[in-house]
Amino acid sequence: MEDLLRVEALCREPILDRVSFTMNSGEMVAIMGPSGSGKSTLLYQVAGMDQPTSGRVYLAGQEITGISEEKRAEIRLHRMGFVFQQMNMMGKLNILDNILLPAAEANRVLHNRSKLELRKEAESLMQKLSVLELKERSITEVSGGQLQRACICRSMINRPEILLADEPTGALNKSAAAEVMDTFVKLNQEGTTILLVTHDSKVAGRCGRILYLLDGRICGELLLQRPGAGTQKRREETVNQWLEMMGW
Amino acid sequence: MTGILKYGVRKTLVWNDIRRSRMLAVATMIFMAVSAMFMALTVLLGISLLHSINTLMEQARTPDFLQMHTGDLDEKSLQEFADDHAQIRNWQVSRLLNLENAAIMLGNYSLADNTQDNGLCVQGQNFDYLLDLEGMMPEVRPGEVYVPVCYRAMYQLKKGDLMQAGSREFMIAGFIRDAQMNSMMASSKRFLIHPKDYETVREQGQEEYLIEFLLEEGTKSSEFGTAYTESGLPANGPMITKPLIRMMNALSDGTMIAVIFLVSMVILLISLLCIQFILRLQLEKERQETGMLRALGFRKKRIRQLYFTKYILLSVCGATTGFLLACLLCGPLTRQMQELYGAPRFSWKLGILSFLAAFAVETILLLSVLHTLKKSEGLTILEALFPGQVQKKRDTRRQYLLISFVTTACMFLVFVPKNLHSTLSSSEFVTHMGIGNAEIRMDVRENQDWDTEADQNGEMTELDETTVPRIAAALAADPKVERYVVLQTKTGRVELPNGTLCDLKVETGDHTVFPVSYQAGRPPELETELAVSVLCAEEFDVTIGDTLTLQNEDRAFACTVCGIYSDITNGGKTAKGAFGLWEERPAAWSVLYVTLKEDGQKENVYKAEALEGNTRKAATSERKQWMQAYQRLGAEVTEVETYVQETYGQTLKEIRLAADVAGSTAIFIIFVVAALFMRLLVEQNRYDISLQKALGFSTGSIRRVYMKKGILFIAMGIAAGIVTGNLLGEKLCGRVLQSFGAGNFRFVVQWEQALLFYPSVVLLTAGIAVWIGIAEIERVRAFECCIGKT
Repeated sequence: MEDLLRVEALCREPILDRVSFTMNSGEMVAIMGPSGSGKSTLLYQVAGMDQPTSGRVYLAGQEITGISEEKRAEIRLHRMGFVFQQMNMMGKLNILDNILLPAAEANRVLHNRSKLELRKEAESLMQKLSVLELKERSITEVSGGQLQRACICRSMINRPEILLADEPTGALNKSAAAEVMDTFVKLNQEGTTILLVTHDSKVAGRCGRILYLLDGRICGELLLQRPGAGTQKRREETVNQWLEMMGW
Repeated sequence: MTGILKYGVRKTLVWNDIRRSRMLAVATMIFMAVSAMFMALTVLLGISLLHSINTLMEQARTPDFLQMHTGDLDEKSLQEFADDHAQIRNWQVSRLLNLENAAIMLGNYSLADNTQDNGLCVQGQNFDYLLDLEGMMPEVRPGEVYVPVCYRAMYQLKKGDLMQAGSREFMIAGFIRDAQMNSMMASSKRFLIHPKDYETVREQGQEEYLIEFLLEEGTKSSEFGTAYTESGLPANGPMITKPLIRMMNALSDGTMIAVIFLVSMVILLISLLCIQFILRLQLEKERQETGMLRALGFRKKRIRQLYFTKYILLSVCGATTGFLLACLLCGPLTRQMQELYGAPRFSWKLGILSFLAAFAVETILLLSVLHTLKKSEGLTILEALFPGQVQKKRDTRRQYLLISFVTTACMFLVFVPKNLHSTLSSSEFVTHMGIGNAEIRMDVRENQDWDTEADQNGEMTELDETTVPRIAAALAADPKVERYVVLQTKTGRVELPNGTLCDLKVETGDHTVFPVSYQAGRPPELETELAVSVLCAEEFDVTIGDTLTLQNEDRAFACTVCGIYSDITNGGKTAKGAFGLWEERPAAWSVLYVTLKEDGQKENVYKAEALEGNTRKAATSERKQWMQAYQRLGAEVTEVETYVQETYGQTLKEIRLAADVAGSTAIFIIFVVAALFMRLLVEQNRYDISLQKALGFSTGSIRRVYMKKGILFIAMGIAAGIVTGNLLGEKLCGRVLQSFGAGNFRFVVQWEQALLFYPSVVLLTAGIAVWIGIAEIERVRAFECCIGKT
């Protein structure tokens, strides 16, 4: 497998200090660490939402640091998907339109998909993530878990090369969090590369690799079986033992 | 098909945004529409007025230069002058038969109280036509009269009514527009009769000549005027030029348009602030959403487009609504203009121009929206996604301050036109007209009763040696007279500090008896002192202490400028000298000003305001009898107050109308702004209110806090409005009136209205608006804070 994402000596003063790591295509990686360790900041640098003080980020060989904000926006729209902790969606639109929003915007420029294709794609994603029946609803008329799954649909609508998620289960209850993680695993098994930030060992335990961030530096890495393999309990025990070792 | 796929991202978001925040969209559109309406109205009225005046002046072939003259006339010398001057295109002498006002009856009304010089005339031979209401030259038949249109409404006249002129009776066959004398600011009015009738009534009045010239294009009327005066041709009366006629015509309706323009500027400022504020609030509210859009990959420019499209849409609706409202309002506001100058032609060009004015206003508003949108882009995606609390507190403060500021601006709009109206209609305003604050004015005509022979040099005729002293002696002996003064106007030449010579009319006499309003200095007391009007001082470039050299036939003598006074009449370029100045020169005319004693007529008349029925009538008729007695001595007697009312009546009526429009718009804006911003405040603080309720605060107590704060800031705005409306407004109006010759302009403020009536109305309106705005507090539920609906 070739590097899909390469992070080289990334600094964001005063939070990140020379962070380097790579991700292969099809991987599912979790970044863990205590509060204030710089997990989310790292994710935002990777997504090009913020400019690092120094260092480089490459997506499929293309450097995304050091390019204009407009170009970074274009990369995010066409090649990345992003899932927020707070399930940000537009109140002005219903669930289906929210999911279609990035697709319609991308299609405005590329014109590579017909309206019918887009609709089918959105409905198929919603079907897969069990939220199809909510498509006409307003964002205030669905549960947190359902909304986060709709957000995942939105992040997937432009068939991104990588899916980034910032504490995707942070605002959800236990069962909703489990539902969302099932979705991530399912997407990863279908080939989607996923990088997520979490402080929940259960969530991290469902990934294939965990990076441990402390004071802005990666100070540990745990390789697990590929997502979905083995029992969940066993995976969680391994993660917890490792975290204890890391001083969690 | 879903909304986004069917209509596209932009249309769906804009439409949903408008639907979701209907209140904000409607408020934004109201601000846009009202701003556009006032600007379109200014253009519609301004162009209509200029167009109507120009059309009337063109149709009537108004002379470029006009010299009024009473006394003998030598037409041969005029012909010679015309032959010698190539710039004269055409010339004619028209005659105006001045009648005693008391000898004129229009329908059932006597013109005895009218302050205008009313006279009969025939149609101009070559130009200076009097036109009927269709813009045509009426065919006057013997026995018929065409009446100045300004008298139609004033005396409720209609075709077929009778007019009594001396011993002759005429049937009113129609009404005429007189391009020269339409405005009530022009002191004469012409009635059109058949030439045969003119000859029969000729003996019943005094004839005045209008020596009129049409000049070649490019000829400066001021230079022509100098050439005319230097030729020693008949010049016993005022000299009038076409620009002065146009200015007099434009001034009465123009004042209303100027007030509307002022209103449109203030409303534009209010709209700019409010729209910017609404947008900033929306951006703040949707900060996370825009952050999310940027995180998803939407470009900044694209997000700006999404917001801007909504404002373009609202501005199109606003401009159209404003333009249509302006068209609707234009009718009632141009009623008087239509009567005097003819119906303005609402051509498509005028329509396009006024729409462009509305569009220009929208462009200014849109540019400010664009500026705010661009400014908001300074935030990084992360700052947009994770907003802080500091901004919210700052916005709340700004919101209260904005309500306060809008109230101040609206109070300014209420006060300035009202104060202007009360100032122009006050008795003190005469002091800005070059007249002292006297009660009665007596004009003694130069050729009345006395020698009308012009001397061989073509100089002014000698003033009668008995009439003025006779009246003065009568006044001195009259126990009812408190004080009086005789002022004589003399004309001559003056040498300016730079050596150039100018014509100057100097009113001589004791100017300390009824002093006019002095911008600087004092009235002249010595023969070597001269006070000049504001415009005169500007033209001559002199100030207090400078020297002007007055020319006499054989000698020149220096006078020191001792005062600069206000005079907005007759072009405003006059001077005042002490008694004895230019003693050897003949007077062109004399005016006597009189004030009656408190215990005499005046008291009766003033008390008459409060009296009813016969007592009131008796007091008024007593004064009339007193005035008539002096009229019999050879003076034209008028009450100064009536003179001012009639001169500015037309303007006052229009300022009143503009003041009413401005006042009601201002109160409407206060209502909208107070209700809207208080509602927004509640929405912004919804979480806090919910938390307060959850902690046990009652709805009533929360409402009281908001009500108190709202009212407090509005009261602050009212207080600031009273100060700015009365002080800043005075300065602003003073600046405008200074260009017409009023120096130290002071508002005459009706304090009981300024301090009590208007603040109460505004406070009550704003109070109701605040109460409506915070009604939402009732609907905020205590558990909202727990489920995070902030």
